[in-house]
Amino acid sequence: MVTVRGINGRAPDVFRPGAWVPMREYSESEPVDFLIIGTGAGGGTLACRLAEAGFSVIGLDAGPWFRPLEDFASDEAEQTKLYWTDDRITAGENPVQLGSNNSGRAVGGSTVHFAMVSLRFRPEWFKSRTWLGYGADWPIDWREMWHYYREVEEALKIAGPLQYPWGPPRPRYPYRAHELNAAALALAEGCEALGISWTETPIATLSAPRGLAPPCVYRGFCVTGCSTNAKQSALVTWIPRAVAAGAEIRDHAMAGRVEVDGNGRVTGVHYHRGGGWHFQKARNVVVAGYAIETPRLLLNSATDRYPAGLANSSGLVGKYFTVQSNQAVWGLSAKEIRAYKAPPSLALTEHWNYDDNKDFFGGYAYMSQGPLPQLWARTQADAHGLWGEALMREMENYNQQVGLKMVGEMMPQEGNRVTLDDATDQYGLRIPKVEYSWCDNDRAMIRHAMGFMRRALEAIDCREIWDQDNDTCHMNGTARMGDDPRTSVVNADCRTWDIPNLWICDGSVFPTVGGVNPSLTIQAIACRTADRIKALAARGEL
Amino acid sequence: MKTRAAVAHPLSALRSGADIAKPILRREPDYRRDATVRAARRLNTASGTLALSVLLDSALEHYRGSFKNPAMVTPLIVSALTLGVSAHGTADRRPAAHRMREIVYGAGALAGLAGFLFHSYNVLKRPGRVAWQNFFYGAPIGAPWAILLSGLLGSASERVRDNKPGRARVLGLRAGRAMAAVSGIGLLGTAGEAGLLHFRGAYHDPFMFAPVTIPPAGGLLLLREAARSGMRERRLARVGMRVVAALGLIGVGFHAFGVQRNMGGWRNWSQNILNGPPLPAPPSFTGLALAGLASLRLLEEHGDA
Repeated sequence: MVTVRGINGRAPDVFRPGAWVPMREYSESEPVDFLIIGTGAGGGTLACRLAEAGFSVIGLDAGPWFRPLEDFASDEAEQTKLYWTDDRITAGENPVQLGSNNSGRAVGGSTVHFAMVSLRFRPEWFKSRTWLGYGADWPIDWREMWHYYREVEEALKIAGPLQYPWGPPRPRYPYRAHELNAAALALAEGCEALGISWTETPIATLSAPRGLAPPCVYRGFCVTGCSTNAKQSALVTWIPRAVAAGAEIRDHAMAGRVEVDGNGRVTGVHYHRGGGWHFQKARNVVVAGYAIETPRLLLNSATDRYPAGLANSSGLVGKYFTVQSNQAVWGLSAKEIRAYKAPPSLALTEHWNYDDNKDFFGGYAYMSQGPLPQLWARTQADAHGLWGEALMREMENYNQQVGLKMVGEMMPQEGNRVTLDDATDQYGLRIPKVEYSWCDNDRAMIRHAMGFMRRALEAIDCREIWDQDNDTCHMNGTARMGDDPRTSVVNADCRTWDIPNLWICDGSVFPTVGGVNPSLTIQAIACRTADRIKALAARGEL
Repeated sequence: MKTRAAVAHPLSALRSGADIAKPILRREPDYRRDATVRAARRLNTASGTLALSVLLDSALEHYRGSFKNPAMVTPLIVSALTLGVSAHGTADRRPAAHRMREIVYGAGALAGLAGFLFHSYNVLKRPGRVAWQNFFYGAPIGAPWAILLSGLLGSASERVRDNKPGRARVLGLRAGRAMAAVSGIGLLGTAGEAGLLHFRGAYHDPFMFAPVTIPPAGGLLLLREAARSGMRERRLARVGMRVVAALGLIGVGFHAFGVQRNMGGWRNWSQNILNGPPLPAPPSFTGLALAGLASLRLLEEHGDA
């Protein structure tokens, strides 16, 4: 395990092996303007934007601070070090699989191993209750979000298509789309056979050099951590900017409790680092731990005054936990595909996100796939019970494998939730219990997607087609934003209704999840929150 | 030896630009009669420079494509032969066309045309058909035009050389003006190719705008000269052509820097020379600019050009 690196006035230089950059250090006894818990898509982005706006900022992250060039191996087992694998209890009729693609424990959060798919929400989703008749409305106008999407796309130099087939016109992506691999071409051929549009996936890996980061070399180990820095994760984009602007990032720092004073304002955070507990004072605290750790921390911070946990007067902290369905259909192509070459999802179709002629609410995108060999062997073992020679024989087909995988919009349900279990973890903190059950609409959508993706594989003459029906991804919704303190945890500015100097800035605030990967939206929300904080500070309303 | 002559010549052509400035009337009496041969030899040099660029570039790119289709060796063979006969032509002072050179140059032009058709087929059979993805990453539509131009310039040089004293015609057209027009259009087309591929690179480095601005400007200057008759000084176009010729060589340096910016840089040369910006591509501009200079000198030296 990597040791503490963000200490003694310096931070690891992520662009040079063994090198360091200077980093400002704040005293624990002096309150900083913003103490941000979590440095992923939400917290990392916000730390950068607030530091650049002149605020004093500390970011805490429970995980290590990696230098990808020297710390990342081309080895799936080694790279599980990027995942959050602390104890959690998972329950419900459809328990969520935790501990790999939907969790991250590193400076940069899960953007260090995300698949880089950077999609905008369909505009109507921000008012899905009003315009589409399901879920809940966001308290933010889609046009404002599109402004912030643009900012994030520029900040990450997203490589995307010149014309996006769906939704209102969008500005040109900063970098051109990557060359499609055979897996992506298979998706394209399937779409053309079925008469629907497809496109190159807007993706956060460079298609041309940028500063010290080289363009993508199509190594294919994206979801186990990019060792070249072509991936525009928070670790190599927002965090270096934040440090340069005067933010301090503390790695291996696990937040345990947010402290509240008698006036109902937060005063700082108790966190565990270097073998002991510390307390950092702060004028504002932002929780950005993603949809499980965020409610867990708020619930674990309960006091006599707030016995149900912080910011929980609505009773909704931890409720409306909403994942995205991530089912896949696989088949064998007659052609050599080698899907593991290049980023896994280079082509996609959002057809069913924008077509409302369906017998269920919500939508889904589906993307080409490129599972690494160990994951693929495990998938085969899990799904078909293959082992020994049978598994070995099946792996001989690995290079012909074609897969289509959905990212589907599940319905927010109050009963799907994160609560605290009585068991405790290595820090003595109560561990989260995650309950999840599909509703009929979820099942109808998955059925529709599986059927359609199967037809797409049949249309390109794949054989031995089978359904992988048990995967989930992207967790959101446990501290939803809204216009009404009774039905939401935070307002549009990600400020909690109950405690004016407590903020939540990550996927937890999503009232609905849409049918696209959430990272771009989380970062856009963080940019908007930073601008709102600047405006509020200017008016003396912090 | 011949190859070296062809490689060395571009620089000497740049140097000899000063000669052109000498007043035409003070030159020796047979100067004008020899002008066609000199122009032909310069066109041989230009053709050879282009062929060298094509040889190295197609070797690199088709090696990268693992010579999947056996026909992919064609441009290597044709451009190597073109390079050889161009060296021969550059050294040859006789005022008559050469059979073997004519055949090779003609074959080069035909191969360029066939390559264009092959590349177009490759692009259009990909999903999405006429789509940016396919123009970016399919076989480059513009690349075979370089060998086509090399063959055209070479063939023209044989025709120019074969003229009777006092005449400077190609297929009945005035050779200087025709060659200036071909070179100018070639520069515009090659800039288009650079523009497409630099657009693919999102113009991430501002110097990437150089080949899409300077050569087209030079190409337009050439076209203007092609439209103007008479033995007159054509200084602006000449300066423009020398700048374009230099840019083609400087471009190799920029592309070498681009190779360095890929993962592992030059330490990982065996991958990055294939993966990074193509080192042999920019000298295509030099080849066309040399053809431009040759045609300008012919225009300045020969009343029938």
